[in-house]
Amino acid sequence: MKKTKNNDELDDFGRFSEPALLILISLAEGPKHGYSMTEDIATIAGVRLGPGTLYGAIARLESRGLIEPLKSEDRRNPYALTGLGERALRARLDAMQTVVRAGQRRLAHA
Amino acid sequence: MKWLLQLYPAEWRCRYGEEFAAVLQGQRLSLGLVVDVFGGAVDAWLHPQLRGREHEITKGEQTMTNEMMKRCAAGGPKLSQRDQILAGITMAVGALILAAAYVVLRKLYHARPAVEALSYMSMPGMFLLYTKVAYLRQHKVSTQVITVGGGMVLLYLIFWGACEVAVRL
Repeated sequence: MKKTKNNDELDDFGRFSEPALLILISLAEGPKHGYSMTEDIATIAGVRLGPGTLYGAIARLESRGLIEPLKSEDRRNPYALTGLGERALRARLDAMQTVVRAGQRRLAHA
Repeated sequence: MKWLLQLYPAEWRCRYGEEFAAVLQGQRLSLGLVVDVFGGAVDAWLHPQLRGREHEITKGEQTMTNEMMKRCAAGGPKLSQRDQILAGITMAVGALILAAAYVVLRKLYHARPAVEALSYMSMPGMFLLYTKVAYLRQHKVSTQVITVGGGMVLLYLIFWGACEVAVRL
């Protein structure tokens, strides 16, 4: 698989790679705080992220500038996707799509 | 369940503690949850993601320290680069003149207290010269000459006196 720089960003996340991808997908809809992300991810992916996993991924995404915290008077800090985060998400989804298409093509001939 | 937060490093709690607690409150206590939080805490200790920001803060502090040093340095914050260069050149020229005078006087009068005082006063004298030139840059030349000259003479007299006392001990 051809890896782009933005795609590599998520590859460094180890076991947090998948939760991070789900967070980016969730934030692509608009800013959300932790609890909203958990609920949204449970709806779209059928996976309920625990707080330890959620914030492990959030900390990584934030430290790499893929998401950013928004100011809030509420203690539940909302996060938004950054430009870099959007590009990383697009790159990852494109790469996944290529793999999915290849897999489907091969299954069609199986 | 807030006690689970204590498993995390203090810096991490400071940054994410409140929102983490808010998410935690919405969860039902289970073995899976405890394992997840425990795993997150181990990760936070082993792979602190806040290091980048911490580094930025340190850089910021260094910048602040540098800024404070600049403000406290001779001439104060409003000292332009031109003024700093001027004060620096004056100090360097003053040091050269003083060094030359010392060499000549040492050759003529040897290690007399009046000659030795010149070498001892050179360092504080040059500092005085720099600060006065920097601080008094807005004043008349005569004021600068009198203040700097007076300060240098006073310094010389103090060190001369000290040298005279020292040779008699």
